[in-house]
Amino acid sequence: MDIAVIALSVLWLGLIAYVVLGGADFGAGIWDLFAVGPQAERQHRLINKALGPVWEANHVWLIFLIVGLFTAFPAAFATLSIALFLPLTIALIGIVLRGAAFIFRTYAIDTTSRFVRWWSRVFSTSSLLTPFFLGVSAAAVASGHIEAPNGNVHADLGSSWTTPFALTIGAMGVSLCASLAAVYLTVEAINDNDPQLAEAYRLRAIIAGAITAVLGALGLLLSPSEAPILWQGMLTRAIPVVIATMLIGLATAASLLLRRYRVARVLIILETAFLLGSWGLSQFPYIIPPNVTISNAANEPSVILALLISIAIGMAILIPSLYYLFSVFKLSVPAPGLKKEETGEKESAH
Amino acid sequence: MPDLLAARAQMGTSLAFHIIFSALGVGLPLLFCIAEGLALKTKNPTWMMLTRRWTRAAAILFAIGAVSGTILSFELGLLWPTYIKYAGAVVGLPFALEGFAFFIEAIFLGLYLYGWDRLSPRAHWLCSFPIWISGAASAWFIVSANSWMNTPAGFTINHGVITGINPIEAMLNPSTPYETVHMILACYVATGFAVAAVYAWAILHGKRDEYYRKGLLLGMAMGIIAIPLQIISGDLNARFLVNAQPAKLAAMEGVFHTESGAPLLLGGLADPQTGKVYYALEIPKGLSILAKDDPNATIRGLDSFAPGDRPNAALVHPSFDGMVVSGFFTLFVGAVFWLLYFFRRRRGPIDRALGSGAGQGEHPQGTPPPKRRRVVPENRLLLWGIVLAGPLSFLAIELGWMVTEFGRQPWTIYGILRTKDAVTTAPWLNISFLVFSLIYVLLAAALIRLLIGVARSPLPKVEPIDREEQPQRAGV
Repeated sequence: MDIAVIALSVLWLGLIAYVVLGGADFGAGIWDLFAVGPQAERQHRLINKALGPVWEANHVWLIFLIVGLFTAFPAAFATLSIALFLPLTIALIGIVLRGAAFIFRTYAIDTTSRFVRWWSRVFSTSSLLTPFFLGVSAAAVASGHIEAPNGNVHADLGSSWTTPFALTIGAMGVSLCASLAAVYLTVEAINDNDPQLAEAYRLRAIIAGAITAVLGALGLLLSPSEAPILWQGMLTRAIPVVIATMLIGLATAASLLLRRYRVARVLIILETAFLLGSWGLSQFPYIIPPNVTISNAANEPSVILALLISIAIGMAILIPSLYYLFSVFKLSVPAPGLKKEETGEKESAH
Repeated sequence: MPDLLAARAQMGTSLAFHIIFSALGVGLPLLFCIAEGLALKTKNPTWMMLTRRWTRAAAILFAIGAVSGTILSFELGLLWPTYIKYAGAVVGLPFALEGFAFFIEAIFLGLYLYGWDRLSPRAHWLCSFPIWISGAASAWFIVSANSWMNTPAGFTINHGVITGINPIEAMLNPSTPYETVHMILACYVATGFAVAAVYAWAILHGKRDEYYRKGLLLGMAMGIIAIPLQIISGDLNARFLVNAQPAKLAAMEGVFHTESGAPLLLGGLADPQTGKVYYALEIPKGLSILAKDDPNATIRGLDSFAPGDRPNAALVHPSFDGMVVSGFFTLFVGAVFWLLYFFRRRRGPIDRALGSGAGQGEHPQGTPPPKRRRVVPENRLLLWGIVLAGPLSFLAIELGWMVTEFGRQPWTIYGILRTKDAVTTAPWLNISFLVFSLIYVLLAAALIRLLIGVARSPLPKVEPIDREEQPQRAGV
């Protein structure tokens, strides 16, 4: 197989990781916006606790995507940067404010101050805006409209990313992040011995999942006219994956109804992976339809090989580290170095 | 503002903002690794208190470092798409490796910051090692990419198309050993003196207990080890530029005309219009000696370059001098501090009665040591010097960065791609610059407020290498 295809597949896996992990962090921010009423305080606390240890690591998947893309497909990165200057700049502002606001509100000394309330609002608003504009940018790419027909690239002030298709996918990005977060938060709430909160997030997960499904169906309806290359690819190549995505979505809903939260967590990750996989498969071999393809945007094979080797070595260090991070904070598996009551006694200080 | 200037202004502002946090991101983890190691070894809770306090500040600083770094990685494409088309192709690898180093840093930072209650003290301490190691590694990788912009290597250009790319050769380009070492040392110098400055300020304002003195000592220790190495590294950098980037060296030293036996110009205003440096202190033949070890050696001046290829000496020369002055001031303050610390010991009450000669500290064998102990110097002038050295060492980083960036102009990739050809065609760059500047002001204001809050909050309570906290959460 062509080495550039391998590189793009690796980047696509990185994209899936970013949406599944980083996307859920944005989703948690969205739920923070809806945290009102008597449970609000507990919800803020749960969200802070869930995000705190992992959000920075989750965010790095985006950096991985950016540097991987400009190393393996420099021409595609340059085109995206010019054409989607505006939505990507807005998304960037959202990413920056989200991260900063989260840390400002968690580390403020007085948690009831105006400072904290203001940054909380910034945190949740930017968590809502960012996935929307990233979704809109993705839809603009998939629709094949960001380049002029003669292949020239200009900054697009809206014609490709304010179409009904793009807006639908943008909204779907938001609801997908929200559903991911809601499902994860059910597990977090159970771990936190708060079944009442788990119930609340279960309901939210079902609602957000239903909205995602409706928006997804709408996106499908719009694609024959607005994203023809995507639609063609979907019919010819990706149809089994599309059907699998829908079935996994139904299974996720079922497991939520049955309160099998851990199962639902696995299923919604799978669903997201299949959804993004079906997008990638549908627009293969284009990176940016209709002009930028894998072969005409790829860097020299020797550089891509060097990149893939570094990624392999990097992952050999990264994956055990990530597994350790998640096993300490998120998973119920044994991990070395954990503090136990006994070890605490042994390591006496004086 | 023209688009090119707006794009440069935005990139420059972003770098100037980010570099503060990346320097702390390299330096602070080493400090808290040492402090926690000392806490575990000596069982002295003061070290643990320092560790706790620094990690709290680090959590905030690192988050801002992460988001401001993200801005830069987007800006490479959003502002300089043509640059990244070349650079991504040739020198994308160190960017990717930097990404991995950042990843490892973020993972272990999560474990370190949030793992106090979950990890055993030993495991927690071990988690600090990957943080400072990958912090230094990411600095190395990212600066190697900048080095490549100064001395591009590892590719050939055939009719405007890049071919024959060798990413390893690009990463290990001629500037890499000089620039990377200089930047990493700068991070340790700046972090060390900045931390010391905080505690010197506190001691000046009447806080005298062990906590402040230990914090001051550790910061000064890091600073004094790094600063002499840094000055040697700076000298090697300048000598390297003689052949690698003579235009940059000429702009740094304000050499407008090629001459043999060139003087060293200290300070002064470099005026590219008249080709003169006004009000400078002149050391005859100084530059020829410093750069080539030969008082009559010829130094290339800016006039040997086409007018369109000259960096602006009016910016580069004062930035360079400012950096050097800050560096030597920091060295001086550090040296005085440690001389006082090692050679002037406070005498205990018994000692005073004996009235032995002050200073040398060479006691005959058998004299019980507690009579004369080393004390942290509390000379007010010296402490004020340390307070000043903290911000000055960050200023040196900013100025040094300006030397290397302004000194490379008008090129983005030296000799290959001009900055004006690298900029995006996207509109509204003025507005973009304005918006991002406002964001930086907003973040800086919130950050300062928060850090002052952290500094004023009561000292963290440290149970003897804390154990019995939160029994209910363990093992979930």
